[in-house]
Amino acid sequence: MPSVCFYFEVHQPVRLKRFSVFNIGHDNNAFLTYFNHDLNREIFEKVAKKCYLPANQMLLDLINKYDGRFRVSFSLTGTFVECCEQFMPAVLDSFKELFRTGAVDLIEETYFHSLSSLYDELDEFEEQVIMHRHMIKKIFNYRPMVFRNTEAIYDNRIAKKIEEMGYKGIITEGTEKILGWRSPNYLYKPVNADIKVLLRNYTLSDDIGFRFSAQSWPGFPLTASKYAHWMSKCQGDLINVFIDYETFGEHQWTETGIFDFLKHLPEEVLKHKNLDFVTVSEAVNRYKSVGEIDVPWAISWADEARDVSTWLGNEMQITCFNELKDIGKKLKKLGDRELLYVWRLLQTSDHLYYISTKGAGDGDVHAYFNPYDFPYEGFINYMNIIQDLKEKITQQERETQLIS
Amino acid sequence: MKVAMIGWEYPPFKVGGLGTHCYGLTRSLADRGVSIDFYMPKTNRDSITSDKPNLVIKPVGETTVFPYDHPDDKALEGQFFEAVYKYNDLCVQKIQGDYDLIHCHDWLTMKAGVLLKEKMGVPLVVTVHSTEYDRSAWLFPNEWFINIEREGMEKADRIITVSHFTKRILVERYGINPDKIRVVHNAVYPIGEGEKQRIVLFLGRLTIQKGPEFFLKAAKKVLEKEDCRFVIAGDGDMLPRLINQAIKLGISNKVIFTGLLTEDEVKHIYRISSVYVMPSVSEPFGITALEAISAGTPTIVSKTTGVSEAFHNCLKVDFWDVDEMANKIIALLRYDPLRRTLANEAKREIKLFTWDRVADKTLSVYREVA
Repeated sequence: MPSVCFYFEVHQPVRLKRFSVFNIGHDNNAFLTYFNHDLNREIFEKVAKKCYLPANQMLLDLINKYDGRFRVSFSLTGTFVECCEQFMPAVLDSFKELFRTGAVDLIEETYFHSLSSLYDELDEFEEQVIMHRHMIKKIFNYRPMVFRNTEAIYDNRIAKKIEEMGYKGIITEGTEKILGWRSPNYLYKPVNADIKVLLRNYTLSDDIGFRFSAQSWPGFPLTASKYAHWMSKCQGDLINVFIDYETFGEHQWTETGIFDFLKHLPEEVLKHKNLDFVTVSEAVNRYKSVGEIDVPWAISWADEARDVSTWLGNEMQITCFNELKDIGKKLKKLGDRELLYVWRLLQTSDHLYYISTKGAGDGDVHAYFNPYDFPYEGFINYMNIIQDLKEKITQQERETQLIS
Repeated sequence: MKVAMIGWEYPPFKVGGLGTHCYGLTRSLADRGVSIDFYMPKTNRDSITSDKPNLVIKPVGETTVFPYDHPDDKALEGQFFEAVYKYNDLCVQKIQGDYDLIHCHDWLTMKAGVLLKEKMGVPLVVTVHSTEYDRSAWLFPNEWFINIEREGMEKADRIITVSHFTKRILVERYGINPDKIRVVHNAVYPIGEGEKQRIVLFLGRLTIQKGPEFFLKAAKKVLEKEDCRFVIAGDGDMLPRLINQAIKLGISNKVIFTGLLTEDEVKHIYRISSVYVMPSVSEPFGITALEAISAGTPTIVSKTTGVSEAFHNCLKVDFWDVDEMANKIIALLRYDPLRRTLANEAKREIKLFTWDRVADKTLSVYREVA
């Protein structure tokens, strides 16, 4: 009897201001000159109205209606929670209310939704995970058991670290690249660690996330009963449907019927005697791993390639990634808390995503999310900011040397 | 299919995109089995011949090719218009034969096209490479040209524009029915890469349309941050003013005015430049951008150009936004990864911009009417 595990990613980056070379070295306040707080507020308020608030309300109603038999999991990034606190505390309150039902689980990740898991050493990664842990503890008084890295980036090294940090499960993509002939509808064990791996069923996930409103798709129109029927025919222990929360009302507009779909889904799923809902922690507790997975090179759930080429696919991206990464040691030695925070905000993976030069199918998806018209614009802006940050660090180093 | 094409310039006698376009188009059309008689003004130098049996170059009359924009010299200007008139008259008198259609280019040949269509009773196709609004940079467009252009466009059975940017001008300013306009973006014969130097290049006629003064203003800002040379290649009525402007800005030691370059010199300067800037105020297409890109040179174009709608892997600015233009020039000079990624992606994209594609699209326009 397969269990259905719904998990939603909730994230907002802190978007950048236009920053020209002529801005380099001109202003002391990095936080105000780098980040476009007005644009962020505008986007956040829009998405809150279209997605977060109505979707949370609907989930709350459904959980109450089915008396906790409908269960879901969330990951909230640190940058998202900060947006809530700054722009609309009501959004965070609605997540707290959902959590209080007991039918909602929370997932750990890096606070900044960063690529720090790909750095040469994992100390920065660990610090960002602990920051997230503190935040969840403070807001929800909870300690997550399951970890999901930025966009499900995963390899053996990351799995080992997550085991060391005390988590029982980790989420990644159920791609053939690691599974071969095997099904994603089971738990697996990393080849080098004693934790469980939850694998995203990308077909069923993308049916909702990408194909829901595609009229050329044979599955169109997707109804809750059709979807529940598909799931009831699945073999395995666990069907992991992991999608971006903005699917509801933002990527798929209300007019597509996405909320009606969600509204009827629990009822249709529970009609099938062989199906029930679990949270990620429950899945990890209930089921055993059936085999090992060995992932020496990082995979993710992004783009067709299912690797890290989304963020590190061209020379511009690799340059920004490396320059930013290399600042870390100096910054930590300097001990300036504000610059350290700014540096971490710049690590949010979205900034690199905007610089992708991928064409064809992936390119269209990239264009949809991109505040820049062209990846080159994104690079120039991001790179100028990194240069300014480097100058600020050099200047501070000089000042500390003068004092000592 | 047999086509009488009425042109104005043809390489090696050319000053602009019209000549380049006619050369690439006629050769690729000939390869596709179309018979073309290409009519052009007689030059006082050696006559032009074609190595393709079904492409025949036919000089008409005794006029000499002039630059096809407004000449600066008033006396010359009178002679120029007279020459255009005379050429059109001669075309109408001399062109006869069993043609399936007439194809002419810009206002320079439109009168002849319209009269020949009536005389021979065959369809007329007109390609618009530039309008009076573009050439005047929208400042003082001359009704006299506009009327010639409008008549040609109205009488044409099909109009080819080199961009959607130009198509919009035809619809909005000339009141032309959009249903008979087809957009065919221009192409390029690749130039090939060379060893780069720290040169930022402007290449084009030095007229208000091409925006060279914005290039100089951006140069001033760039030089506050970076050391490099700026080359302004080309000739035109603004040359003395631009030299003065460079002196006033205090950057004359960093700006080189080359005057008009030969074809080989043009290729050389494209190859050795690190950045090409096309800051045109209003540019129907802008083949020079493709030429620079084909020489491996990262390119910045203004948003008011046809090439900016057609080509993805170049940087885009508003022609008046000299701060942003300078920002992008500096970024290209400073950030090697940007330069290399742009050059590599552009190299892939530019393979799509072939004259064979232009000929295919033009041929399908012919087939709509003939």
